[in-house]
Amino acid sequence: MRIEISRLTKTYRGGVHALDGIDLDVPTGMYGLLGSNGAGKTTLMRVLAGLLRPTSGTVRIGGHDVTTSAGRLAVRRELGYLPQDLGVYPDMTARGFLDYVALLKGLDSRPFRRRRIGELLDVVGLSGVADRRLGRLSGGMVRRVGVAQALLGDPKLLVVDEPTTGLDPEERIRLRIMLGELAGERTVLLSTNLVEDVAETCRSLAVLAAGRLLFDGSTSRLVARAEGLVWTVTTPGPAPSGRIVSALPTDAGTRYRVVAPERPAPEAEPVEPTLEEGYLALMETTRV
Amino acid sequence: MKHFHLWSHETRGAGPAALITPPALALTAVLLGLLAPRIGAREPVAARLLLGVAEMGVPLLTGLLAASLVGGDRAAELRLSLPSPYRATVLRRVAVTVGWAGLCALPVLALLSARDWWRLLPVSPGVLAGQLVWLSPTLWLTALGLLAWTLSRSTVAAAATVALVWLAGLTLFGVSGGGTVPGPLDLFATTRGVAEESWLPNRLLLLVSAVPLAVAAWLLLGNDERVLGGGER
Amino acid sequence: MIATLRHEFGMQIRRPALWIVYGLAFVLLVISFRQGYLIPDIGRVPRSVTTDLLAVVGTVNVLMPMAYGCLLADRLVRDGRLGVSEVLDAAPASRTGRLLGKYLGACAATAVPIALVYFGRVAVYAVTEGGPGALPLSVLVFAATALPGLLFVGALALAGPLLVPLPLFRVLFVGYWFWGSLIPADMMPTLSHTVLSPGAHYAEFGLLYTAPSDPYVLPYGPWPDAVLNVLRPVASPGAAFLWMGVMAVLTVAVLLLVRLHTSRTA
Repeated sequence: MRIEISRLTKTYRGGVHALDGIDLDVPTGMYGLLGSNGAGKTTLMRVLAGLLRPTSGTVRIGGHDVTTSAGRLAVRRELGYLPQDLGVYPDMTARGFLDYVALLKGLDSRPFRRRRIGELLDVVGLSGVADRRLGRLSGGMVRRVGVAQALLGDPKLLVVDEPTTGLDPEERIRLRIMLGELAGERTVLLSTNLVEDVAETCRSLAVLAAGRLLFDGSTSRLVARAEGLVWTVTTPGPAPSGRIVSALPTDAGTRYRVVAPERPAPEAEPVEPTLEEGYLALMETTRV
Repeated sequence: MKHFHLWSHETRGAGPAALITPPALALTAVLLGLLAPRIGAREPVAARLLLGVAEMGVPLLTGLLAASLVGGDRAAELRLSLPSPYRATVLRRVAVTVGWAGLCALPVLALLSARDWWRLLPVSPGVLAGQLVWLSPTLWLTALGLLAWTLSRSTVAAAATVALVWLAGLTLFGVSGGGTVPGPLDLFATTRGVAEESWLPNRLLLLVSAVPLAVAAWLLLGNDERVLGGGER
Repeated sequence: MIATLRHEFGMQIRRPALWIVYGLAFVLLVISFRQGYLIPDIGRVPRSVTTDLLAVVGTVNVLMPMAYGCLLADRLVRDGRLGVSEVLDAAPASRTGRLLGKYLGACAATAVPIALVYFGRVAVYAVTEGGPGALPLSVLVFAATALPGLLFVGALALAGPLLVPLPLFRVLFVGYWFWGSLIPADMMPTLSHTVLSPGAHYAEFGLLYTAPSDPYVLPYGPWPDAVLNVLRPVASPGAAFLWMGVMAVLTVAVLLLVRLHTSRTA
């Protein structure tokens, strides 16, 4: 499902511009949405899910205009949505909650629902706790229940807002792999403030800051933004100038990775940038 | 079968307070009613107690539950993203809350009839019309609770609105001995003891006047952005 | 404790719901209690500035404490729901100090509109009828008749939702306020008008107003045909101080229980 966003603006009451003139085309496949907290990612996700109405601009998903009621309903029929703050009913079991969501997604056949819920519980590794109340599951498990509910109804568009928040490293890797596998014929829009999540799963991404679109394109293009700007310096003395990415203590002193427009110290060595450094270079060069 | 499963999930979604409180209230009232002669309570006092539970207790309960129904829905954002309209869920949960509370009010009113205590009360409607004792104020306060939430988008403001209107209803119309202003919108006309011929019009007017409250709440609940912006802070 | 108090006060006083709810309560108060609030002469003999002030505080104390309890009910459980309890537990301030700061700050902020409604009316009264002497007297009347009950209700409203879900607590609280403070004592078995009731009038009839001797009017205290009359001594200065003491003890007891609860759940 292709997402076409044109001149999208969302202004909240009180004059807060959460989104400011966004133009973006999201093709089928896995697509990352990066940005710091407050960049406007969640607002954009909510607009795409039809929960918020744009102040101006157009959003078309699979040809449906989400600014209209009919368009929103058509999109919701094809949508799997995992909100950032996933609330669940603590008295329901994981299986019961999924059954409830399945019914509301229009999966009327009980045998089909049961089979599909069983499959999804397997996929997210929760079959063993399927009949345990949600209030007694860990945060990571509830997050996985959230992923399972998003996949009910075989949606063509998956909108997942910071899905790896609160997960342990193993769960995070597992979820990333799962999302990558799902992205075959679907559009999976992954919103996150963890560059690592995007680096491991997406070939294309957009970067938001203060409601504005700073970048959209391939991950390699974003990495290229830091070409010639990343250095390593090992020094026992003070930290070098520039944006420090990491500081690793070694026997010879602290080894810094730095993003800087010029060599930050005489002994600094240029190195190949990563996506994270591409992101930092972008933020440094386009401060908003 | 689909509807059965959906309603059973909505029953859980209505929350434990909606399921536990009405039978607890009814059980307490029935026990007090049954034990009244043994603990030396006079029959008119026991009759007023049962009537008060049905006409004042049940509506307060459902009104306050309705006020926290949307704001207390932890899965509201997810629910709003689904193709089935959210207000249909709200309607089902309101129906569960009111229906269950009404079901629990039945034994309370049945005990009044069984003991022939209606004769001790100012108004004595028949069995069928007698259900308006709880139904009219219940629907009115429930609609008010929902509307108050959709307008304020604050559970505490909505709950306090219901509570204040309920208490003002008691004091304004003299149930607690404060004021003596009669009126067609008297929520507790049975307990206060209006004239027999005014009782049914009062009950029907309450039902009719609940409709615009409910319609306004229904319309506002159709605005997803409004619902999403609410909740406990 | 002071920092928590100031923080809680600021948080609560800035809450739009607080002003919306009290705004509605004020409208209902004016409609329901024209006689009493707008017209303080409620037929007390002999009429005086004190009886007028008692009439005003008496009417304010019917509806307002219910709004006060409802607004306070989510203050303590909110920390747990927002996940800040653990962060606060790691702070150097003691739990007891934090609890006291939260209690005093939240209660003080929630009582501000009640004070405005009462003292606002008193100010108008002082200008139009009572004279400037009504102002200091109004402070004494408020402190003696309304404050002890508000302190207890505040503690109760903070503590209750730790034991039962918030929506259920609100139902119970409203029912409790009506049943335990407002209804006539002979309507059903009730704590209303006992020394355990936060809405009892012992300070009014025991300390501030003495009705002329009348064989046809019963003194405030026991009700004919009411149960639990053992908790309804005849109003006297002693009974008034007993009521205030009971309110203070109940407040401390409830706060101690909350403190124990927070220790056990930490």
